Amino acid sequence: MRLTSSNEIILKVQDIQSYIGHYHILENVSFEVPKGSIVALLGRNGAGKTTTLKSIMNLVDVREGQIIFEDQPIQGLSPFEVAQRDIGYVPEHRAIFRDLSVEENLRIAERKKGDFDTKREMIFELFPDLEMFINLRGTALSGGQQQMLAIARALVPQNRLLLIDEPSEGLAPVIIEQLIEVIAKLAKQSTVILVDQNFLVTSKLADYYVIIEEGKSVDHGVMAELINDHAKIHRYLGVA
Amino acid sequence: MKKKINITGILLIAAFIVFLVLAGRGMEPRDLLITTLRGFSVGSVTFLVAAGFSLIFGLLDVLNLAQGTLYMIGAYIGWTVFVRPDTFIDITPLILFLMAGFALGFLWDYLADKIKLDAKKKKILGWAFVLLSVVLAVLILPRYPIAMWELDNYSQSPISFSYMADQGIRIPVSPAETKGIPAMVALYGSLLLSAVLAFGLALIRYKENRQHSLHWKKWRVFGILIILGTLIMAFNTPLTDWLMNMNTNWLFIIAAVIAVLSGIGLGALMETTMIQPLYSRPVYQLMLTLGLGTIGMQLVKAIWGMPEFVIPKPEMFRGSGAGCPATTIKDVFTNHCSTILILGGRVRVYDEIVLPIVGVVILVLVWLLLKKTRIGMIIRAGVQDSNMVEALGINVRRVFTLVFALGAGLAALGGVLSAPSYGLSVSMGEKFLLNALIALAIGGLTSYPGAALGSLMVGLIQQFMIKYGQIGIPIPFTDIVFKPTPAIIPASTMLLMVIVLLILPNGLLGRQD
Repeated sequence: MRLTSSNEIILKVQDIQSYIGHYHILENVSFEVPKGSIVALLGRNGAGKTTTLKSIMNLVDVREGQIIFEDQPIQGLSPFEVAQRDIGYVPEHRAIFRDLSVEENLRIAERKKGDFDTKREMIFELFPDLEMFINLRGTALSGGQQQMLAIARALVPQNRLLLIDEPSEGLAPVIIEQLIEVIAKLAKQSTVILVDQNFLVTSKLADYYVIIEEGKSVDHGVMAELINDHAKIHRYLGVA
Repeated sequence: MKKKINITGILLIAAFIVFLVLAGRGMEPRDLLITTLRGFSVGSVTFLVAAGFSLIFGLLDVLNLAQGTLYMIGAYIGWTVFVRPDTFIDITPLILFLMAGFALGFLWDYLADKIKLDAKKKKILGWAFVLLSVVLAVLILPRYPIAMWELDNYSQSPISFSYMADQGIRIPVSPAETKGIPAMVALYGSLLLSAVLAFGLALIRYKENRQHSLHWKKWRVFGILIILGTLIMAFNTPLTDWLMNMNTNWLFIIAAVIAVLSGIGLGALMETTMIQPLYSRPVYQLMLTLGLGTIGMQLVKAIWGMPEFVIPKPEMFRGSGAGCPATTIKDVFTNHCSTILILGGRVRVYDEIVLPIVGVVILVLVWLLLKKTRIGMIIRAGVQDSNMVEALGINVRRVFTLVFALGAGLAALGGVLSAPSYGLSVSMGEKFLLNALIALAIGGLTSYPGAALGSLMVGLIQQFMIKYGQIGIPIPFTDIVFKPTPAIIPASTMLLMVIVLLILPNGLLGRQD
């Protein structure tokens, strides 16, 4: 399943089958991610988008198939080893650490000493709010700020691939606009795989899409083409 | 809502203090002081067990019921170093060499990767190596020379050694005899044994796609262990003489350090080999730690025997001659008095002053570790969501091991430090495990300051109840003086726990979840 033939491929997911406990969640998911692009995983609730991201991080049990990042297989590695290959993960519901200050929430993501200090300016330029609240506890922030913090945390190390899960969930429309800008900016430095229920977000940001339905990847292509294909959108995503 | 809870907590603590004071109306100031200090002392030791327990439970969700046994083992190992340094020197090279095989873990992983077999066959081969290591253990370990005490020969029993050491006399001991094979052969045989075992385990645990390297830096730990072990064996006699004739203050410090290191080592071993495979099965873990605690107790019984004895107090705290009891702090340092006069009462320096101070120092040190270091930051984050911490690229499993080892080390420290005042017995662990559990229930199970507060309250109420047993509690508006019997002392802490939990189900400082 090639999305494009020209670009260099940074991540290749081949026929993976994943389980959570006894539940067979992903039955056959395959796709490729061209370097420097934003790829959106689309599909209805419970289709397996989040599980696909978790499979890449090996946070769920991937029993079959291959995941190849920069020509190296990474399935079977521990999640921390996957992350150490420079893959950043921004989970659903943000997962901000409540007992840590905003600064500590960022510093904990350092992979080598001084990561945060070198990125400090870039991060606070993207997220000026975070600098203001640097000494507050992570959970004292608003939902939007927490989401920004979760994304900022993934920017602390020099990640080459970012997995962003449902960033717009529960956010006000104005904040979502800001979020779209931020993701567009950071996509200039890193490849992004984006999962979001809000088609407005994915359609504005993504270069390519992959549709996942009942644990299988069923369609893929260029986002610009999907936007005009109302029949397909309605069929797979239930929005029109 | 949260503020209201805090006020309830403060009121509860105030009521607790008022009760202690009112009930002790007839108590003289010096009795009040000494009872309070004793409460601090018991609280301090309880805290060392409880702090480890709370850290481990907070991060790993493991209720480590073996914590009491680790406390006890710390005391017995400390005793061995202090009273029988020769045994300690005999056994150290063996322990170091057994560790050395596992220090080569990276090499075994590398070799496991190079062997061209499918995963299932690797596993079978792994078990074959484990079996081989058992055979080697049976062949080698009994032939390793160690000079030890004898349980069934009174003059050579731990009690005799303890008693004589307390008098400042060392019973002469004969050096360990070789048993069939030269000591060095037995020593390097033990390296072979641990290497075979570690390689077997590496094969069993083999996972694909890992990057392996044999960088020279990875060999350092192995090198240090081997050199240290060989040197200690080669210089066994001078080292033993040196320790035997050492000032007992320094020897006690060495004993404490070794006890803590042993606790840390045992904790790390427990976590990596037994707790780790059971992370998804909490009930099994509970049974496992309970079982390990019981096995540990039986081992202690088998090695050191049933009768109780003490670690003699170091010179610094045992003076009783001219100028004692001390009247000023300076006297304590110049005359090394065992007691000091405060408000006309004799306060025991080690038991009632040093132990509480150590408790406070450890409280502050661990707090600093949690708040000011990167590892502390990872622990605090991991308490909430260890998966997310791992997804950030941090080897959380290693931090789990570290915290488990640290918790075990704190318990061992509690054991060795309490041994000169509370003595060593096979049941010492159970008593303080119960104390610690009650303290944690009172303070809040995962709250570190809660562990300290709960331990202090448990220590105080126990000691006050003992005192009330002597002087009685005058019941208001009547002529009745109620004297608690010894049976009420453990019950009193339980009662305190019940009262606190009825009012604050999460304990005084516990988080509402």
